[in-house]
Amino acid sequence: MYAVETQSLIKRYGKAYALKGLNFTVNPEEIMVLLGPNGSGKTTLLLTLATVLKPTSGTAKVMGLNVAKQPTQVRQILGISFQDARGFWRHRPAEILEFHAAMCGIKKTESKPMIEETLKNLELWDARNKLFMHLSGGQAKRLEVAKLLIQRPQFAIFDEPSSQVDLRGKRTIWEHILRLREKGSTILVATNEVREAEYLADRVTILDQGQCIVCDTVQNLKDKITGGDIVELELEQAENNADFQEELGKIQGTAKIMPTTNNKYKAYVSIGEAWVPKMTNLCYERNVRVLSVRVTEPSLDDVFMSFTGKKLETDTNA
Amino acid sequence: MLNVIRLVWFDLKQELRPPVWIVMEWFTFTIQLFIYGALISQLVNAPEVGNYQQFYAVGFIVMMTFEVGSHTGRHFVEHAHEGLLPYFLSLPISRARLFLAITLQGGAELTLMIGVPLAITLAMIGNLTVISIAAAVATLFCLGFGVAGLMLGLSFIAFKSSDMYTAIVTGLSTIMVRFSTVLYPLIFLPPNYRTVAIMSPLTYGSDLVRLFLGFDPSILLNPTYAVAVLVALAVSTLGLGMLLLQRLVEGVKSG
Repeated sequence: MYAVETQSLIKRYGKAYALKGLNFTVNPEEIMVLLGPNGSGKTTLLLTLATVLKPTSGTAKVMGLNVAKQPTQVRQILGISFQDARGFWRHRPAEILEFHAAMCGIKKTESKPMIEETLKNLELWDARNKLFMHLSGGQAKRLEVAKLLIQRPQFAIFDEPSSQVDLRGKRTIWEHILRLREKGSTILVATNEVREAEYLADRVTILDQGQCIVCDTVQNLKDKITGGDIVELELEQAENNADFQEELGKIQGTAKIMPTTNNKYKAYVSIGEAWVPKMTNLCYERNVRVLSVRVTEPSLDDVFMSFTGKKLETDTNA
Repeated sequence: MLNVIRLVWFDLKQELRPPVWIVMEWFTFTIQLFIYGALISQLVNAPEVGNYQQFYAVGFIVMMTFEVGSHTGRHFVEHAHEGLLPYFLSLPISRARLFLAITLQGGAELTLMIGVPLAITLAMIGNLTVISIAAAVATLFCLGFGVAGLMLGLSFIAFKSSDMYTAIVTGLSTIMVRFSTVLYPLIFLPPNYRTVAIMSPLTYGSDLVRLFLGFDPSILLNPTYAVAVLVALAVSTLGLGMLLLQRLVEGVKSG
């Protein structure tokens, strides 16, 4: 059984479609990252799974429970960290977490040490007695994440968990999300940050205009780009034999070969790890000595570009 | 049920930090009653009304009740726009309990706001039984819930346009308060005015409270009719609010 499964899921706001017949699955104890630009339907999908929004049509199930027909049961096994941490203006971080823990049925004796530990881990301990409205954007966001780290739900949803957070804070949040998965939670993360997706994802689903474009592991997605890996090859001496470049081009998975100087080549290949051994064999057979080889993988931004023809909007802090 | 109480308290705490606005409401009531009410009562010379300052005090409390009811609706809209409503909707409680918490929070706010003014008014009127006081308080709560339900029902407009919501609520409030019997007994109203006043729920609320507090029944509406209207208002508007929460709020973009 999938932890999450949607079939032909549609969500419409008036005439505008936020989700257009989405088919999507998440395996148990997996971190699935939803990658897509703003307006791609990520947040709508998360809010629908969290039963905050009702689907227009289609089905969505969380741990086998239908979100439209069994919403209260669904809410009992999931937790969501929202994109914007707002609305608690006159509450203090510690009491927000105490309230959240109590609402989720965690006993005070159990929640108190967890709250203290989480506040310390997320560097919020010094701000624990500040009113929410006096917290910085990054602190408010970390507090939003802290709610789920304390709740430890069976299914945890994070909507852009590290936006507005500095790089060190991002790493800390990512580490805690990974630990949450180790403790048995299934995790769904929506982001438009490539680095966040690469750090966290077991699998990535690329969403665009309310539809699932592709879903796979990060490595498989990168390998799916024809000519996505770049191999920079430096020879000890200039290779004057004209057919050497042609031979390189014939290696399986080669998209393009470009000489950069008379002893350097740039090869655009599909899977760098498979291409390099074949290239070294060729060089060995032709008695060509290789000075250096450098393989550069495509980023998830390149993957997104390759599948959608558009660039992702990325956070400059990433 | 514990989670409903937690939710009420969590939200109420936010309102009470700082509790200045409640104290200011009490202060406003005191000033209005002991300066404006005292002066205007000297100008009113109608034997049917008796002491107009007391009549005015009850009317002012009814207006405060209406204000709290309206505030509950506005509060709900603010929650939607500030992002707290999606959080509440994601909590592991049923929608019915969430709605109950929102309603009880309005009730708790009403208790806080009218507690002191009501105590002053009751002390001023004097010679009241526990039953009459309890009936008056129950009437105020019934009116408060009815107005809150009405405003919650209207709050759906705010998801489309908060400006339109503000304009409608302000206009409606003005009409409902001014064209009612909160400040003037029904028998003294001109026929046209009376026709409109009979449509305001505040007329039924204020007349029923006055009846329980010992005012002359001849200047008031039929109490059976008033009870029926107030109960119908509370049940229907709260039902509408519940329906909106279940059917509509989850279908729209907010925050």
